[in-house]
Amino acid sequence: MSFWGDFLTRLSAGTLTTLELLSITIPLSIILGILIGVLRVYGGRLGSALANFYVFIFRGFPLLVTMMIMFFGLADVGIMLEPFWAASAAIILCSSAYQSEYVKTAILSIGKGQSLAARALGMNRFQEIAYVIMPQALRTALPGITNEILYMILYSSLAYVIGVSEIFASAMTMNSIWVRPGEIFGTIALVYLSMTTTASTVFKEIENRLRIPGFEGAR
Amino acid sequence: MTAAGEVLRVENLRKRFGKEEVLKGISFKVDRGEVKVIMGPSGAGKSTLLKCIDLLIPPDEGSIWLEGVELTSPGINVNQYRRKIGFVFQEFNLFHHLTAIGNVMLGLTKVRKLPKNEARELAEEALLRVHIGRDLWDKYPAQLSGGQKQRVAIARALAMEPSIMLYDEPTSALDPQLTGEVLQVIKELAESGMTSVIVTHEVGFALEVADELMIMFDGEIIERGNPSEVIYSPESDSAKVFFKKVLRLGGVGR
Ligand SMILES: Nc1ncnc2c1ncn2[C@@H]1O[C@H](COP(=O)(O)OP(=O)(O)OP(=O)(O)O)[C@@H](O)[C@H]1O
Ligand SMILES: [Mg+2]
Repeated sequence: MSFWGDFLTRLSAGTLTTLELLSITIPLSIILGILIGVLRVYGGRLGSALANFYVFIFRGFPLLVTMMIMFFGLADVGIMLEPFWAASAAIILCSSAYQSEYVKTAILSIGKGQSLAARALGMNRFQEIAYVIMPQALRTALPGITNEILYMILYSSLAYVIGVSEIFASAMTMNSIWVRPGEIFGTIALVYLSMTTTASTVFKEIENRLRIPGFEGAR
Repeated sequence: MTAAGEVLRVENLRKRFGKEEVLKGISFKVDRGEVKVIMGPSGAGKSTLLKCIDLLIPPDEGSIWLEGVELTSPGINVNQYRRKIGFVFQEFNLFHHLTAIGNVMLGLTKVRKLPKNEARELAEEALLRVHIGRDLWDKYPAQLSGGQKQRVAIARALAMEPSIMLYDEPTSALDPQLTGEVLQVIKELAESGMTSVIVTHEVGFALEVADELMIMFDGEIIERGNPSEVIYSPESDSAKVFFKKVLRLGGVGR
């Protein structure tokens, strides 16, 4: 088999795995990030303490370490996760901690008047958060969330170390067979670049569609 | 307990922020269709009083009765009663992410749980009452003038079909040339029988709409009565000084 034929086969399998990994971790980390962010602001003493602790831990550990713990560490106590799921869990935990930071900051940037007006209409706390605060806060948080997603695409490559056959793993295998690192890593760099470019274009478009006419940002 | 015509009764309301006592035992009542105007210098506690009435700030002491129900009694579902009190803020506080009509509909669909089409009809009605024409319904707050924003905010409160409207300096954040259109709307509503409590610095407007004028000073109501008597021949020295200043600033006749 030729170099490029072999590379194409392995790279497409790897890319497929990376895309699978991202299609699970991106939505779940956003959802969890929003929940944690809301809990940090509105969770009361206990809820916000728990949420802050979560962030303290998963923003404080290197993703690589969390990944090792999810795979090898949990195996020690009898919980066996497949590499793919251990990697997914680690990425979701780490990334949601970061996402929650953007969400929290965005919520806190919404003026007190919005909440007063919601309550004056007779809304309960849940309605106030769901219909008044979050629709505005999520718009504000979107650029930060997008940024975090670009990082996720890049650090999904760490899944390689626990044996997930994603893009980076396919490159390592290729290189051990053919030893042509320039072409191999140059090519996967372009694959990552095309994924981040696609993601940032898509999210820019979402941002534009959600933009509030005439509004310059929460005061 | 409740007189037939009574909508709101405030008894001995007290509130302190830290060491400072901001409300020092405020009592008054408002009958159906009555318009009360409250005036007083900055820091007197006017905003705090209105927010306490709507329980947006919990009072420390005293009681508030809305149509015979004590809102300050323990265990009451505040939200259910709050929707019957329309609150208009100095800074409008329109929901930035919703259009004019979206702002008015939100309370109707989410709080009053009306179906969309019914909510829309009521919202349109409310907007027309404050002279916001069809061309502005789909504009976002950032695309409206201050006067338009405040009128949308009034429509938003009005659409909930409140028993009483509270206005906290509704024109203080507006350019002088825009206050007229807002005051006009408030006056029309008052004349149509909307029970109202209005905090304002507009002397001329107070003279026109108030059934009773109350002067607040340092957490207390120091004077109350017929608006022109209170304005032109106040009894207390504090009120005299206050009106001398206000009148010199040319509030009359607008
Ligand atoms: N949340 C708060 N915490 C601490 N102090 C407050 C708070 N809200 C108001 N105060 C203080 O209470 C006093 C009364 O304030 P309030 O806003 O009720 O006055 P006001 O009569 O509405 O004045 P203005 O005409 O400027 O609106 C002021 O001294 C103010 O600093
Ligand atoms: Mg005030």
